[in-house]
Amino acid sequence: MDPIVTQGLTKRYGKFLALDSLSLRVRRNESVALLGPNGAGKTTALKLLCGLLRPSAGRAWLLGFDVVEERERAVAGAGVMVETPEFYPFLTPEETLRYLGRLRGMDGGELEERMDEVLELVGLGEWRRTRVGSFSRGMKQRLALAQALLHDPPVLLLDEPSSGLDPRGTLEFREILRRVGRRKTILLASHLLGEVSHLCRRAAVLSRGRLVAFQPLSLLRKKYGSLERAYLRLTGGES
Amino acid sequence: MRYEFLKQCRRRRFYGALVIVLLATVLSVALCEGWDLLERVGIPEWLLREKGAELFALWVSSMSAMALLAAVFFSGDALASEFEQGTGYLLFPNPVSRSTLVLGKYLACFLATVLVVGSGFLLSALATFAFYGRVPVGMAGSFGVTLAIAVFMNGLAFAFSSTLKGSMGATLATLLTYMVLFSTVSTALSYAGHEPWFMPDRATDAMASTYGISLEEAFGGMMGGGQGMERMVRASEDPVVAFLLLTGYGLALLGFSVWRFGRREMA
Repeated sequence: MDPIVTQGLTKRYGKFLALDSLSLRVRRNESVALLGPNGAGKTTALKLLCGLLRPSAGRAWLLGFDVVEERERAVAGAGVMVETPEFYPFLTPEETLRYLGRLRGMDGGELEERMDEVLELVGLGEWRRTRVGSFSRGMKQRLALAQALLHDPPVLLLDEPSSGLDPRGTLEFREILRRVGRRKTILLASHLLGEVSHLCRRAAVLSRGRLVAFQPLSLLRKKYGSLERAYLRLTGGES
Repeated sequence: MRYEFLKQCRRRRFYGALVIVLLATVLSVALCEGWDLLERVGIPEWLLREKGAELFALWVSSMSAMALLAAVFFSGDALASEFEQGTGYLLFPNPVSRSTLVLGKYLACFLATVLVVGSGFLLSALATFAFYGRVPVGMAGSFGVTLAIAVFMNGLAFAFSSTLKGSMGATLATLLTYMVLFSTVSTALSYAGHEPWFMPDRATDAMASTYGISLEEAFGGMMGGGQGMERMVRASEDPVVAFLLLTGYGLALLGFSVWRFGRREMA
């Protein structure tokens, strides 16, 4: 089974249909972009995949485990970064990662080693003992990526990972994701078409909760002239 | 639980509660010994001679019991803040069940409460030993009932915290339920001729009954009239029943929190 699979995945909030029967498969070590305007259902899809929401209909699997029936086993292999990350202000990055690492079954030398690696990777090495309460949004974003990579998961679910970062930070993030993405399956929700072009081979375009295209970026470019045009046409912004 | 406890210990409210309970205990010791408070409030002399250590311990440790309200501030936001502050996005996508998270948080809040209340009791016990040369056995029983109240108070706060959207709402709802709703119901039942022994606020009176003192004899003179006071001095709840009742209620409320928290979505 492919690492990320959704079948008729649907989410309703009362009468509002946030996600309408999403079916897609992301192959092993493939990076797929979830594209779409605000309210298209990108974040809802990611939240359903990592068990933050329960589907109104349909099913989803991460690494072969049903995200509702076997939630703990499904998310064990996923690194998640959803919405604007918030942390416990009284803890330092080291303590935060130790806490989350233990929740993920890591301990001792393995945890300390990985913690050092990911903190250096995201550029928070010198801030490791500073309480998160004093961090800027960009620094929190870096810590959010560090925690998503901490247990070296085979699957990454990322929602606007570089939002809130300065241009240098955005480029650094892009490079980190490109490097780690070679041996991971990534589902990336983003508005930044440049970022998507850099990191992903295929894109799932959502509009008003519905999947309107799921194709290789090269095909979308060929068909519509550019990725921007494809995005606008498919999401109803350009006739 | 370790990191949840660490979080509690780094908050200002934890140190605030600790300082308040220690200051209140020191003040009550000073009033008893420096101003002869127990004589002045009209406790009979023969009772002070016979049960001086018990009355002193009861008075001084009652200051620590007030710190039980700190539990509400520790627990009120324990669950609600995960949704309100957005930290749930970090915590929930982990391979740990929601029930484990609730239990870990509950134990951390309970431990923080016990640390604050226990510090007050320890100081009270030391003061009692210093002035009377012994620590009454009833103090251990009173501390036992206090632990049961802590189980209950944390459970009540968790129940609201797992249900309401905001931390402030959960904290206020817990305080109002405990301080207004329960006492209103208890008083109404008393007036209607039903003994409200099963009410949590009534059960907490058992903290005093472990000392083996008749509160009516000790404090009857100072109370004058009034239904509430009369009820209070008559209160001599069975500590064992109170302990079981409060622990039972607390665990039931914790069970409800686990159930409710497990069903909440992080929308």
